[in-house]
Amino acid sequence: MSPALFQTALDASLALCALGLLWRSSAWFRLRIGPDARAVTPSGRVAAVLRGAASALFSRRALRLLGAFLLDVLFLRRLFASEKLRWLAHLLIVAGFTLLLLMHALAPLVSARLFPGYQPTLAPYLFLRNFFGVMLLVGVALLLFGRWRAGLAQWRRPTAAVFVALLGFVLASGFLLEAHKIASPRAFYRMSEQFIGSSDSEELKPLRALWASEYGVAFDDLKAGIDPRLADQGRTLHGDACAACHTPPASAFVSYPVARLLAPLTGRLDAGHAAAWLLYLHVFACFLGLASLPFTRFFHVVAAPISVLVDAVGPSSAMSAAGRASRRALALDACVRCGVCDARCSVAPLARYLGNPGLLPARKLQATAAMASGRLLPSGQDGDAQWDAALRAADGAFLCTDCGRCTSACPVGLDLADLWQAGRGDLAAAGLPAPAQWVQARPALAWAELLEPGPALQKFSDPDASMAPLCADRRSFSRCVQCQTCTNVCPVVAHSTDCEHGIDLTPQKVMNLLRLGLGDLALGSRMVWDCATCYQCQENCPEGIRVTDILCELRALAVRRLGAVRGRGGVA
Amino acid sequence: MTGARHDRYDVAVIGAGMAGMAAALFAAERGLSCIQIGNGGGILFASGLLDLLGVHPVAERRLWPSPYAALEALAREQPAHPLARIDTVSIRRAFEAFVAALGAAGLAYAPLGEQNRKVLTAIGTIKTTYGVPLSMVAGVAALDVRPPCLLVDFRGLREFSARQIAATLAQSWPGLRHQRIEFPGYEAVPELYAAHLARALEARVTRERTIALVQPLLGGVQAVGFPAVLGLARSREVHAAFEAELGVPVFEIPTMPTSVPGLRLLGALEAAVSARGVQRRHQATVRALAFDRDAGTATLTLECVPGGERLLARAVVLATGRYAGRGLTADRGGVSESILGLPVHQPDSRAAWHQHDFLDPSGHAINRAGLRTDEAWRPLDAGGKPAWPQLFAVGSILADQDWMRSKCGSGLAIATAWAAMAQVASQLRETAAG
Repeated sequence: MSPALFQTALDASLALCALGLLWRSSAWFRLRIGPDARAVTPSGRVAAVLRGAASALFSRRALRLLGAFLLDVLFLRRLFASEKLRWLAHLLIVAGFTLLLLMHALAPLVSARLFPGYQPTLAPYLFLRNFFGVMLLVGVALLLFGRWRAGLAQWRRPTAAVFVALLGFVLASGFLLEAHKIASPRAFYRMSEQFIGSSDSEELKPLRALWASEYGVAFDDLKAGIDPRLADQGRTLHGDACAACHTPPASAFVSYPVARLLAPLTGRLDAGHAAAWLLYLHVFACFLGLASLPFTRFFHVVAAPISVLVDAVGPSSAMSAAGRASRRALALDACVRCGVCDARCSVAPLARYLGNPGLLPARKLQATAAMASGRLLPSGQDGDAQWDAALRAADGAFLCTDCGRCTSACPVGLDLADLWQAGRGDLAAAGLPAPAQWVQARPALAWAELLEPGPALQKFSDPDASMAPLCADRRSFSRCVQCQTCTNVCPVVAHSTDCEHGIDLTPQKVMNLLRLGLGDLALGSRMVWDCATCYQCQENCPEGIRVTDILCELRALAVRRLGAVRGRGGVA
Repeated sequence: MTGARHDRYDVAVIGAGMAGMAAALFAAERGLSCIQIGNGGGILFASGLLDLLGVHPVAERRLWPSPYAALEALAREQPAHPLARIDTVSIRRAFEAFVAALGAAGLAYAPLGEQNRKVLTAIGTIKTTYGVPLSMVAGVAALDVRPPCLLVDFRGLREFSARQIAATLAQSWPGLRHQRIEFPGYEAVPELYAAHLARALEARVTRERTIALVQPLLGGVQAVGFPAVLGLARSREVHAAFEAELGVPVFEIPTMPTSVPGLRLLGALEAAVSARGVQRRHQATVRALAFDRDAGTATLTLECVPGGERLLARAVVLATGRYAGRGLTADRGGVSESILGLPVHQPDSRAAWHQHDFLDPSGHAINRAGLRTDEAWRPLDAGGKPAWPQLFAVGSILADQDWMRSKCGSGLAIATAWAAMAQVASQLRETAAG
């Protein structure tokens, strides 16, 4: 390969990679997630991050950072705690990749300086290079196996699939290149010309016999069988000219067997200058990978360790608004889509029940990103696809119980709880506040009137029994004798001393509306939406009516029914 | 007696009304391990006044100054009445124990004594009762002497009108004045609820503001009456503060059910039985009840939200009440017992249920329907024998009484629970010894 071409390509890909890294990381200071992020400028965020980094590095927290780097970044401790298989895969990939990069790709800078007399064709480097390559390969295979087992056949982003294919190609071309060079007589002759000054096949016959038998070179004329005595005659010359740089390649436990397999083809491959092509492909694939890495989701190899270290410094709540804003934007890049959060999510059963995967953290993160970057702009029109997507995202945001399990489980230290809070703020600012808020933007009567003309709506006497079994069954409230016990024990009514914003209906009036088949009138009522679910009414009801459970059902019905007519007459 | 194991009890009390609560209380006081199943919400309809026996005979609407004299007359003239089957010494002890337990749980009653007392109601009528909460007892004296007196009510509290009471009594009690005031902190609220006011008055600041509003209205009255909203769990403290600050006797008048005294009574009874180690399943109902004659145990299958539970008991006390408590179910064919289908003593045909006149003072035959028992309070089967040796019945589910017209609801509940629990205890002792 021409050094000029190599250097140009390397420089170009390094430049692209650097630009990409710069562009991607600049988003950490540009992207605004959460209402409090709007108050700080990008330069203010850069300054806050630099200040934060400096104060963390030059304090006792530096030790904590070092610990986090060793245990969480290098050893991937958090992943080890949650998912052993994925941890193994990642450890293999991280270790294999890093060692290949240092010892192989950057050999002139690293291996040659660290190990006196380093040659890639000497033991144990032959073995080690293969070993590292296999680590990487097994790691990738384990991850793909994990995806397949989790039922994730499709890649959400094609770039990710292309990048994985590229990585596979680099590995395969590397092994093939090494294998071909082991078997190649052409390479042999090139080396003999250089170090012995001869490429005469007859003159070098003893050396060739030795190399054919112990080094795997596939000479056409030596296929029939090699006389061991002839090979022995070659040892002196071998010792003088070759041994300093070559040990038998059998320890390259992948490439050597491949070389033996390729032996019958070696002649034709040599004739086609396969070594040169494979080298080009291998090197340029590496460069392509280098240049494209920042533009794929594998950018997380940069962002995730940073996130882990940021998390080690302290919680979001202890950061400045500027620092928090940057951390949120970083989270979008640092997320490795591992799905640990989804598996731990408290509302996962609800997500299945409602058929809305938007309730799960991984999807919520995407929606948060889309919301922040303006890709999810709700129009407020019924039936508009973006509006529906935004409504589903809002469902996810507001049905979250803030249990914090996703945050504590995240292997890369994302403060997801803080992100959800910020995302809810953004949704509210975009006209999609929590159901309790948008429902209460209109009085109960206005909602009931809005429901009236809807031809697609069921009558209240016929609510969805699977969703609201108590409301659907008259027996659950028909025993109400209007004794007011529920109202008497209700702390929400007791504390409602403000006429304007106070309770509009009392619990027993809600029960009465149900008895009269006028439940629609209750859907948007403050009683239904301000209920504290303390269960006093239900526990005290002399008739054993499940008052609180019924109020909860009414909320669910309201989200479904009022949500369907929300856009009518302007967004509430 | 055996200690309570996880799912095995000496006594299972089904029902948590007055009779169920009394049964659970007395079981625990006799050292029996007890589980109580059922919702106590029915007690919320109570006024806090404990009737023993006010009227006898029902047809004559004769009021008795002494409940014990009334009980003696009842025993002579209506020997099938459940209260007629219990000696007055036991009834007295039952009431003393019940009231002592309430007092220990923070709901103080005036000493019981020998006499019935007359109490003002929320509509200005006069009710004859026996046990009176301490917070109401000054009203008994006031009603007796009828001195200059002030009745206060609150704007927005719909179920209580001082003006109506004063108007009703105007002729016989000329010194009775009335005044409506704003309840502090709720000035902007159109509709008030008694329990909210009661809870609010437990805060000193609200109490002081209310007293400050009443003080200028006193004008030499010798007693002040309020709707029963003077505190909920801490009614004693609130009532005492009102009396101390106003400097005159202060009394509460029970409001229409469901009322604050009902909430106090329920709270005190729940606290009393729980404090005595009674296990409670207050959101559960009994889905099935089966007896094992050989083992001498009953198996109760409970239904609750969510799931269910099974437990074993050596004795079962049925305190499920009548129709409101759903111990009895009435339909066109007749009245049936809800859990076991025990034979219900009732008129032969539907036509015989009611008198011709709905307001007939002697009441209706259907009002005396219920379970008949042997002398040990065990409900009878169709053949007139105890249906199950381990099954007992107490309270209003019992036949041959019309507690509403006799004004004997609490008496019936407390006395039969006491008497039946004495039988349960001695039976359990015998089987343990045998």
